[in-house]
Amino acid sequence: MRIEKHPILGDIVKGKKVLFTMDGKDIEGFEGEPISVALKAAGLMVHRHTKKGSPRGVFCAIGRCTDCVMVVNGKANVRTCVTPLMSGMVVQTQYGVSTKAI
Amino acid sequence: MYGKKGGYRMKRYDLIVIGAGPAGLSAAIEGAKKGLQVAVFDENEKPGGQLFKQIHKFFGSKEHQAKIRGYKIGDELLKKAQSIGVEVILNAVVVGIYPFKEVTINIEDKIVHYKADAIIVATGASENMINFKGWTLPGVIGAGAAQTMMNLHGIKPGQKILMLGSGNVGLVVGYQLLQAGCELVAIIDAAPRIGGYGVHAAKVARTGVPFYMQHTIIEAEGDSCIRGVSIGKVDEKWCIIPGTEKHFDVDTICLAVGLSPMSQLLKMAGCDMEENPAKGGTVPLCNKYGETSVHGLYVAGDVSGIEEASSAMIEGRISGIAAACYLGYMDEEEMEKEIGQQEASLNSLRQGMFAPGKKGQEIKTTDEGYDVSINLLEKGYMADEEVENYPGVKRVSGIHPVIECTQNIPCNPCQDSCVKNCILIGNNITSLPVYDESSRCIGCGMCVASCSGQSIFLLDDDKEEGFSHITIPYEFLPLPKEGDMGIALDRSGVAIGQAEVIEVKSMKAFDHTHLLTMKVKNDMGMKARFFKQLKEVSL
Repeated sequence: MRIEKHPILGDIVKGKKVLFTMDGKDIEGFEGEPISVALKAAGLMVHRHTKKGSPRGVFCAIGRCTDCVMVVNGKANVRTCVTPLMSGMVVQTQYGVSTKAI
Repeated sequence: MYGKKGGYRMKRYDLIVIGAGPAGLSAAIEGAKKGLQVAVFDENEKPGGQLFKQIHKFFGSKEHQAKIRGYKIGDELLKKAQSIGVEVILNAVVVGIYPFKEVTINIEDKIVHYKADAIIVATGASENMINFKGWTLPGVIGAGAAQTMMNLHGIKPGQKILMLGSGNVGLVVGYQLLQAGCELVAIIDAAPRIGGYGVHAAKVARTGVPFYMQHTIIEAEGDSCIRGVSIGKVDEKWCIIPGTEKHFDVDTICLAVGLSPMSQLLKMAGCDMEENPAKGGTVPLCNKYGETSVHGLYVAGDVSGIEEASSAMIEGRISGIAAACYLGYMDEEEMEKEIGQQEASLNSLRQGMFAPGKKGQEIKTTDEGYDVSINLLEKGYMADEEVENYPGVKRVSGIHPVIECTQNIPCNPCQDSCVKNCILIGNNITSLPVYDESSRCIGCGMCVASCSGQSIFLLDDDKEEGFSHITIPYEFLPLPKEGDMGIALDRSGVAIGQAEVIEVKSMKAFDHTHLLTMKVKNDMGMKARFFKQLKEVSL
């Protein structure tokens, strides 16, 4: 999914490669890019399930709609599309407003 | 006043600007130029608003920075703001505007108070959305989201994508998806006619992307994320006509269904507001300086009515100048003079078929009296027989430009780019370009590269017996090279025969628009408008 070379923007410059976990699984991403971008590169689409159980993913990608919120480092409702990725982050699928299905 | 003992003092500025997009930064620069102490607050991690996602060449004339790509205009604005001492404070969400120009801002989960003598609100717009079955599934995204992903973060929003919406946002983002290496299965719109510029539609259509007008989404299909989409044709009552349903396998649906001004802060500040559909929603009432009913509180850009970045920058300058005068940093006469110049510049952008006042109107002829191409409006491309009706297209011998620019849009870089003065637009930048065949085209290709709408081609029927040589603008990867064989596509994206690449010209002055010259059989010279590589190497 990553664009390596773009006809207008040229080479895509990224931060250093870092590891983080997504529901316990190690995933690679680039430091400083939004968490959601690293997740997308890893093929993950579902960020959370609503209380009623319906899946949600990235919608606006600019921190406005809150559809992409997840539990990050134990904190719920973190907008993954505008939160920069850091090494060792613990990212979890959000169910309702916490990590576990109710 | 607000802090504990010995603590807090409200920080003061002459001018606080809310929003560091094109309007806000332009306003801040003007204010700082006049000597004001200016702070700009923006909720985002980076300044520039949406400018850094705009990778296409802008329209307008030289004074509007035409033919410069949006992100480069963003770079220049930022540099200017920094050099002139504008303070830009990021990750700062303005949550309230109170009497006496007090502003509360959420910075790192704390509310901080600031005080200004004048405020300019340039918060821009947010994307509209539309409901259909399955619209909340992951994979349904805003067109802005697609732009953010690919142009800021270097990731494809999806592999196979359907675009809903044929306004300029849908068309421009659709083209950018192709540039990023995604497959665009179709652009659809419930309206009977394409809403954006014909030239933007044409550059998508010629690559083979179909337009389905009077169509809407019936359902986004999938369990945990999008696997497909079904669409259907709508009748006059916007109901699906049975039997018109179509299915596409897609993993992403992009919604480009308009923008709404983000004017909540102004309402809260007590400004008189109006609901104005022509401006995209709820907007503050303001005078020609952008001043609202609250003295010293100004607006600029999309928050005061949806337009585009070029006019937002001018509105920003106007409100910046007006605020400087309001605070006594310049006299009224001087202000009127400066604002008059800005207004003239703004006015030149607001002419033509897409002028703000003409939204939704059906326009049948150009300002010059030429019939508007119905095919362009309904299918995204002109019929072969329509093309030669326009003043930019003339059959002459030797190399010459074929200018397929047929709507009155504010743009004139082609005129400026021609050293031989072959292309005439005149002072009114929305006039159609006229090819003057009495001047000799030397085939330099500057007009092809400078056309923001990618609607100029060079045609030479006389270079080689039995063949036509056509030069097209090309902005995709991998870049074909001399000798490559491929397929020539016509304006509708249909394959019409073999093509051989004769030359690919790349120059710094072309700014990433390569000029690809291909050779086709000479009866295809007025038809072939795109080169499709035989073996498309995936990026």
